[in-house]
Amino acid sequence: MAGIKTIIGLSFILAIGFLLVILSAALYKNYLTLLVVATYVVAPLPNWICGRASNPDDFMESSGSGVIDFGRFLTGFFVVMGIALPALLYHSAQIYGGAMVMSIIGGLLIYGTIISFTLFFQEEQEF
Amino acid sequence: MSSHRLFRFPKPAWINSANTRTAGVYAAGALFSLGFYLMIDCAVFSKSALNGSDPPVHITFVDWIPGICSALGMLVINSIDKSRLSADSFSYSGNGVAWKARLVLFLGFALLAGGLAGSVTVLVLKYVVRDYIWPTLWLGVGNVIANGLVMLSSAVLWVAQNMEDEYTYNLAL
Repeated sequence: MAGIKTIIGLSFILAIGFLLVILSAALYKNYLTLLVVATYVVAPLPNWICGRASNPDDFMESSGSGVIDFGRFLTGFFVVMGIALPALLYHSAQIYGGAMVMSIIGGLLIYGTIISFTLFFQEEQEF
Repeated sequence: MSSHRLFRFPKPAWINSANTRTAGVYAAGALFSLGFYLMIDCAVFSKSALNGSDPPVHITFVDWIPGICSALGMLVINSIDKSRLSADSFSYSGNGVAWKARLVLFLGFALLAGGLAGSVTVLVLKYVVRDYIWPTLWLGVGNVIANGLVMLSSAVLWVAQNMEDEYTYNLAL
């Protein structure tokens, strides 16, 4: 189902996301907003690591789900951090409002690309 | 199970699904993040140029204590295995595991409630009583909201994990 068009579309969206974030940093000569990129790159990692660390098929063993839950908790933490960080910087007059809007939108595009990429191509890896 | 119902409306079926508890855990993380960054926002705002209080008012360690208490309480509450709370009725628990679990849980809830109450105390004693105006008042109000969000996140995580227990139980039968 996921062909070459999906890859091209996703890479376009990823490029637009990076463009927005870099623009928000370079346009105002203030490179604090690049932290958003780091946040969204780190965000899928806890789920991935904790998914490897536990055995989801084991229903009787309750110790495995705690690790998965911790990974999901951290993921939720990082996703909101990507929105909260520019808002925090704007509220304390470290960056301008335009930089805040651009970095939030760009960060969401980047994270959406990562998530939809794993959604599209995860099924084929398992078989 | 339906014949033992107490209320007129049945519990909707989606409450026990695995997706709901996944969403609950994500939401708990999001709420905790929101609370955490509200607290950071207060600290950054107190050091920024916008903080125009004339005798300068800054965040000190006193403002951090409620947040630390709340986070510790959340850690304690959610690191307890919930199935041990009713463990006395089963045979595999010796030496009063449920009693210990309830004691630790009580300490956790006390820490959480103490954090929220402490943030209100700081707001009243440090900011309201001395008649500060709005931009300075935010340092206290934000702290209260942050602690409330941490408490809410803890509650959501608790409910989500209990949901998971029932789901696993139904599946194991």
